[in-house]
Amino acid sequence: MTGNEHISQEDLALHALQALPEAEASAVRAHVAECAACRGELGRLAADAALLGLSVEQKALPAGSRDRFLGRVAADAEAAQNTIREEARGKVLAFPKRGWIPWTIAAALAALAVMLGVGNYRLNRELGKEYHMVADLMDQSSKAERALAVLTSQSAQHVLLTASKTPPEPTGRAVYLAESGGLIFQGSHLKPVETGKAYELWVIPVSGKPIAAGVFWPDATGNASVVMPPLPKGVEAKAFGVTIEKAEGSDTPTAPIILAGATATGE
Amino acid sequence: MAFERTHNDDVQGDELLLERVCGGDQLAMAGIFDRYSGMVYSVALRVLNDQGQAEDVMQEIFFQIWKKPDAFVQGRGSLGGWLMVMARNRAIDQIRRRKPTDSPDDVVLVSKTNLASETERNVLMEKVREVVKQLPLEQQRSLELAYFEGLSHSEIAEKTGDALGTVKTRIRLGLMGLRKALAT
Repeated sequence: MTGNEHISQEDLALHALQALPEAEASAVRAHVAECAACRGELGRLAADAALLGLSVEQKALPAGSRDRFLGRVAADAEAAQNTIREEARGKVLAFPKRGWIPWTIAAALAALAVMLGVGNYRLNRELGKEYHMVADLMDQSSKAERALAVLTSQSAQHVLLTASKTPPEPTGRAVYLAESGGLIFQGSHLKPVETGKAYELWVIPVSGKPIAAGVFWPDATGNASVVMPPLPKGVEAKAFGVTIEKAEGSDTPTAPIILAGATATGE
Repeated sequence: MAFERTHNDDVQGDELLLERVCGGDQLAMAGIFDRYSGMVYSVALRVLNDQGQAEDVMQEIFFQIWKKPDAFVQGRGSLGGWLMVMARNRAIDQIRRRKPTDSPDDVVLVSKTNLASETERNVLMEKVREVVKQLPLEQQRSLELAYFEGLSHSEIAEKTGDALGTVKTRIRLGLMGLRKALAT
């Protein structure tokens, strides 16, 4: 029954009943896959055999059988719904029906989603850069406005600092506005400090401990400045001082005081 | 979720029900179950002679439809006939303790028999029983051993003491007799 010869009706009938040994059944399958005539006859014999099932006396289903089945179906549907909901949250776009067309569409949509995601990532990254740039500009602008307010305010205190000993080469000038905590300091003729050290500016309040107002290093010509260091607002100052501290700054000023100057309040 | 039992003579085509099952319609699945579960269970019980095992076979077959309704497509024959074949084959697989010997895709029936209507199904059942009874006893015996006991033609020959060719011929003639009688 192999080769180009058709399968006998006997063998097709046995195959329809799965009554052929596997080797012969395999040969039948191979033949009918290529032979429309034998495939058609096998289909008719399979339909004839199926009718034998109708000769069986019909029995009632076991109690609860229907509920068990439909319960299983409902549970499966619920599980499928949960999966769809999870996928809809951002995982995968899924189709309830099978077949290559939905999956091709799904693949295309997934690819599109990836492209959009990459584009979106780039835009977000650029937007982030712009945001930081604007924030920096706004910060600088705010700082400049505050500095201008300190310099132009009629209530700002102007203090000349000189070296505590002669010759008075190093000098410093502080402009301070207590209500906003704004402070601008400019030093001149300052000597270089050794490695690991820095000048540190101090606000000496009317009451309380000295407040650190930032460390600084003079340039090659001995000039240095501290502009708008972070200071609390509303602190009335009686003096300002400059000391040499470790490079990262200190909590309390260390003697000797290199520059010092009292406000009108502190005089 | 509760499903009212469907009335089998309020026939909605199998094809339409399957289409709805493809869309996840549980009510349509209940309709298919109500229509064919008795038939499927009875065949499985006849082969297995065990209620629990027969129900397991039935449940798996219908759940297979729920999970893969598109495994049964137009051109594969009637859904009722396909279910009968699946019920018989799965039950035989079970008594022979073997893996399923065919996939749903392998089962193709060439038949115009409509089993969707309960009335027509009952009429056909009576007719088939009558035709089988009219077959020569040897043919009945050979068909029964092959169909309900899952014996191969050589096993049938060994069991009955008949020649291999004789068994083959009896089975072919039995099926052809059934076809011819039902065609008239």
